[in-house]
Amino acid sequence: MRVPTQFSVDQVVVGHSPRMRAIFDFVKVVSRSDSSVIITGESGTGKEVVANMLHHQSARRHQPFVAVSCALFSESLIETELFGHERGAFTGAIKDKPGRFELAQGGTLFLDDIDDVPLSMQVKLLRALQNREVERVGGTRTIPVNVRIITGTKRDLKQMVAEGKFREDLYYRLNVLPIVLPPLRERREDVPLLMEHFLKRFARERGIEVPQVSPAVRHAFDRYRWPGNVRELENACERIIQTCSCGTARVGCLAVSILFGAASAEGASPLAQPAPVASISLDDRLKEVESNLIGWALKVADGNKSKAAELLNIKRSTLGDRITRCGIAEPRSDVESAPVPA
Amino acid sequence: MVSRERIEAVLDRIRPLMQADGGDIELVSVTGNNANVRLTGMCSGCPSAHMTLYMGVEMALREEIQEFEQLQVV
Repeated sequence: MRVPTQFSVDQVVVGHSPRMRAIFDFVKVVSRSDSSVIITGESGTGKEVVANMLHHQSARRHQPFVAVSCALFSESLIETELFGHERGAFTGAIKDKPGRFELAQGGTLFLDDIDDVPLSMQVKLLRALQNREVERVGGTRTIPVNVRIITGTKRDLKQMVAEGKFREDLYYRLNVLPIVLPPLRERREDVPLLMEHFLKRFARERGIEVPQVSPAVRHAFDRYRWPGNVRELENACERIIQTCSCGTARVGCLAVSILFGAASAEGASPLAQPAPVASISLDDRLKEVESNLIGWALKVADGNKSKAAELLNIKRSTLGDRITRCGIAEPRSDVESAPVPA
Repeated sequence: MVSRERIEAVLDRIRPLMQADGGDIELVSVTGNNANVRLTGMCSGCPSAHMTLYMGVEMALREEIQEFEQLQVV
């Protein structure tokens, strides 16, 4: 979700899914604390939104909220970016520059993409967090900092620790309060609500009426996997608002990748007649989605269940239970993913 | 030379969704490795629908059928 320049907690759509409700209740509780938070979630699931909420509901809300993506900077740049530098520290350092830690003084520092921070930098980060002070590059004085640290990661840090790619001591320092954001495909019940929300927002920005949405479009939105999560949904809605010329959003307003993606998720249950407006069984749908994904993972993993479980980000034992529940006998060949053009 | 059937098979994948919206994509003719299609129904008058379907369907055809070259919307 794109964070509006003027962030307000009321603008955040919580949705109906029990998991998201639980997350937001948890956010309310932990925003009162000063402890470190790790937000884990795929790209586009709303890590920065949650970080913003944590800050804006905390006692630090009148202090700065500084967000920085650690993936944007090269190894040497991260250090000067986070800790700042003194004049003359290196060629081009013509004046003193405070780092993000200092800029966030008294407030919250959101370090996104922490999984992209190189090991050498992790040591320095750990020291800064432990001692609550930073030293600018090329400087000698230590500057005490009082910031709340929130980190965002798209990969499972624990896994990275096991692989030796992330320092264990830093992991435990950061991982006091973990929040895991589910991918959108695991909370499909929220797709219609999010769609309404974004359509309304973009229509308001463009100064037009909110278009009607055809059942076929709703159907495609329901079926599509949304690999880019809420951000992708948001962009699809923006596209509708920007291109719709007839007042009703129809399939022609969607990216063909969504149409093909939705069509290939259709599987055995065809949409032979005009989109059914009749009631649908959410449980059946979810089960279908689940078994499709499990089938896909098993296929990609060549039937290796441990690998498949890893792909699905679930425990090996959970996968076993779900395979039994969905009645999948072996890797299925009918869930081949179709080519998805842009 | 690409067969009609192979092209129709790709079109068939998105056809149900288009038909559900009161439209269709009709395969008019196949010449060599090129195909002509016609958009009918609700979206046929919409410039953005033309653009997205045209580009997306052509890409899908090329991906599915190695030798496919060009799609024309007539």
